[in-house]
Amino acid sequence: MFKPLNKILVNPIRLMIVSVLMKVENCDFNFLKQLTQTTQGNLSIQLKKLKECGYISIDKSFEKNYPKTNCKITQAGIKAFKDHFENLKEYQNLNLKQKS
Amino acid sequence: MEAQDQIQLINDTINQTKEKIKESSFSFVFWGSLIAILSFFHYSFPEIVQQTYYSSLLYWVLIPVIGMIITVVYNIKKRVKVGYETYVGRTLKIIWGVFNISWILLIFISFEKKINPTESILFLLGVMILITGLLIRFKPFSFGGISVIICSILCVYTPNNSWLLLNGIAAVLGLLVPGIALYYRKSNV
Repeated sequence: MFKPLNKILVNPIRLMIVSVLMKVENCDFNFLKQLTQTTQGNLSIQLKKLKECGYISIDKSFEKNYPKTNCKITQAGIKAFKDHFENLKEYQNLNLKQKS
Repeated sequence: MEAQDQIQLINDTINQTKEKIKESSFSFVFWGSLIAILSFFHYSFPEIVQQTYYSSLLYWVLIPVIGMIITVVYNIKKRVKVGYETYVGRTLKIIWGVFNISWILLIFISFEKKINPTESILFLLGVMILITGLLIRFKPFSFGGISVIICSILCVYTPNNSWLLLNGIAAVLGLLVPGIALYYRKSNV
C-alpha cells in the first residue's frame, strides 16, 4: 500500500529548499534565490509555507544595515523529507517494475 | 512532477552545495607561515624578543591576536559570499574557536606559573589538526597533526632553547605544508 506523497514537498521550489537544508547547517535567502532561480516574492511565499508547516525555522537579522534571512531545517522537516524520499523511491521502483 | 524527476531534483540540488573546505587553506597557510616566522625569529634573535620581562609575552600574544582578527574577518567575509554553512564547516569553526580560547588561556597559565607553554600548545595544536584531517578526510592534515604531536613529545627530551626551533618545524609540517596541499588539491574535499 503506497502512502500519498507529501503535498508540501511536491512543489519543486519547496523540495529544493528542504533538500539543500538537509545538507547544510543553515543558509541565507540570497543563496536560496540563486539556487532555486525564482523570484524574491515567490521564494518568500514558499519559505513562509515551509515555516508554517514547521519544516524550517527562519531567523531574521540585520547585517551592515541590510536585512538578512537565515533558514534552518527543523526535526519535523528532516522527518518529512526522509518520509517523502522513501515514498519517492517506492514509487520509482513501482514505475520500473511496470516498465519491465 | 514524477517520482524520478523529484529524486533527480533532490540529487542536483544537493550536488550544488559543496563543502568548499579548499577555501580554508588560506587560514592554515597564514598561521603556518606566521608561527614559523615568529618561532624562527625568536630562536635567531632572542635578545630582541626577550628585551624585557613582558616583551616575549606581548610578542607571542599581540601578533597572534592580530592574526586571529585577520582570519576571523576573512572567514566571515567568505561565509557571507558562500551563503551557507555546512555541518563539517560548523564543526571546524567550533573546534578551532575552542582552540583559540584554550591557546590564550594556556599562555597566561604558563606565564603565571613561569613555565614554557610550547609543549602543551603544540600537543593541543596537533590534536586539533589531527581532528581536522580526520573530519575532512584529508591525509596531509592527519599526518601534519601526528607530526605536531611528535614535536610536542620531542620537547620533553630536548633542552628549552631548541623548543622554538621545534615550534617552527611543527608549524611548517602541521599547518603550512597541509595548507598548501589543500590549496593545490584538485577536488574539493
